[in-house]
Amino acid sequence: MLLLPALAIYAFFFLYPTASTFVYSFTNWSDVNPRDVTFVGLRNYASIFNEDIYATGIRNTLIYALLSTVLINALAIPLAVALNRKLKTRLALRSIFFMPAVFSPLIIGFLWSYLYSTSDYGLINQALSGIGLDKVNFLGDPKLALYSVIFTQVWQWTGYNMVIYLANLQSINPEYYEAAHLDGANTLQSFRGITLPLLAPAITFCTVTVMISGLKVFDIIYSLTSGGPGHATETIVSLMVKRGLGEGFYALGAAFGIVFVILVGLITLVQLRLVKIWGDR
Amino acid sequence: MQRMRRSPILRRLGPMAFEASAIIIAAIFIIPVYYLFVTTFKSPAEALLQPLSLPETWTWDNYVKAFDTMNYMRALTNNAIISAGAVAGIVLFSAMAAYTLARRNRRYSKLLYVLFLAGMMVPYQMGILTLFKLVSDIGLMNRLAGVILIEIAYGLPFSIFLFKGFISSTVPIELEEAAKIDGCSVSRTFLTITLPLLTPVVATVAILNMLATWNDFITPLLFLQSRDKGVLLLEVFRNIGQFSVDWTSLFPMLFLSIAPLLVFYLLMQKYVIAGMTSGSLKG
Repeated sequence: MLLLPALAIYAFFFLYPTASTFVYSFTNWSDVNPRDVTFVGLRNYASIFNEDIYATGIRNTLIYALLSTVLINALAIPLAVALNRKLKTRLALRSIFFMPAVFSPLIIGFLWSYLYSTSDYGLINQALSGIGLDKVNFLGDPKLALYSVIFTQVWQWTGYNMVIYLANLQSINPEYYEAAHLDGANTLQSFRGITLPLLAPAITFCTVTVMISGLKVFDIIYSLTSGGPGHATETIVSLMVKRGLGEGFYALGAAFGIVFVILVGLITLVQLRLVKIWGDR
Repeated sequence: MQRMRRSPILRRLGPMAFEASAIIIAAIFIIPVYYLFVTTFKSPAEALLQPLSLPETWTWDNYVKAFDTMNYMRALTNNAIISAGAVAGIVLFSAMAAYTLARRNRRYSKLLYVLFLAGMMVPYQMGILTLFKLVSDIGLMNRLAGVILIEIAYGLPFSIFLFKGFISSTVPIELEEAAKIDGCSVSRTFLTITLPLLTPVVATVAILNMLATWNDFITPLLFLQSRDKGVLLLEVFRNIGQFSVDWTSLFPMLFLSIAPLLVFYLLMQKYVIAGMTSGSLKG
């Protein structure tokens, strides 16, 4: 009985839509054809693999997810180690680095679109011209735009992941370091020999969650670039919303959703396997 | 590093230099938030010429204007209703469900648990198209209640996961057995004995979901179209085109939209950080 409310809401608003998405992905349901829905086999899937825009979306999403996972974790671990030392200001420093994580990526996106701007008020370009460099069109240059978006998310989420690493670091027995120190290990050696292996639980959690949320990225794209310039920053979810809901190709969007889930599942599996191999080593 | 012999001064200077560089990095890191804050008090000309200085005069005009344009109190109220409703629903329903799943060892409860966990893997965005159709078919479109129910559905899997882990590992079953012998019903046992013991997880689940629902943009965007049902993020989104040139009017809107969470974070920092991270390592 206690199970009932959760199950009812979950089944109605999550399980049913997800399952019916699967069914609709094989039909011709669309804005122009809302009633006379018939099965069309794999046609939607075929058009996904034939249209370049979807390949672009998948490629951008993969670059985004992979790069943000690597950068965020590569910065968060040293930051956590640094702020685990006995500093007078470490509590204040921790809360400063954590702060961006409580804000909505949408607002972060609007803020950064001003910071990145090439107009007179763009703070970063003001600084660049101040030291005699040329202005950079961070969001307007198709080659740069995706990386500019990634940078804002690295800025936003490094502190959050740092705190998870800190919690893990505090569970490491300090005697290990004393023993290593007596054996003549230097700081770098004890980092590689003790810290990294014992951080395995946090590394697993952080790399997997950053990867999954990277694959699902939407808000920050919507507010910074809306997928542009051209399709340079279009991602899977932004395309799903744009094509599926905005332009009314429901069944096509549904098929893309299925491709998306398979992709997320595969990547998560591979990643968990890799982390496990690394952990066992 | 410590093995190298150093003069006493250098040994003192090392940590100080380390701390000083950490402070400088943090200062650079937080410039965007500082910039957002000081710009809200400036005129366009001042913001252009002295972007990073403190404002010459602290004028509130920008805020007064933004407050009206955003319809701030209404949006804030809508945000609060959605978050409060969703968090209450998630905490109560997921604790109830996790309790049953943890204490009943039948096959179907294992299966149901797996079904809930699947929600953590399958991104909800996948089903938004059919969810959109469903919500408009049952007349929940443009209603706060609809958004609350959707947020609850999204929040349940991870919360059930956290609650179940805690109940299985730390809540002693003996108390419940004693209550059962005394003739206590299952729901009463849950309410009077188990639920009070779950407080640490309740805090985690509440904070996580409070932030998640407050910052959720795509659900209100899709399911709340009329202006009077707007939430803070939607208001900013609707005004951004109109004010994109008039940026000193826009910045107060950005700041006002993050202010409630900023206050919440600054006041409850310890709990927010603990709540946002404690779920991670136990899993």
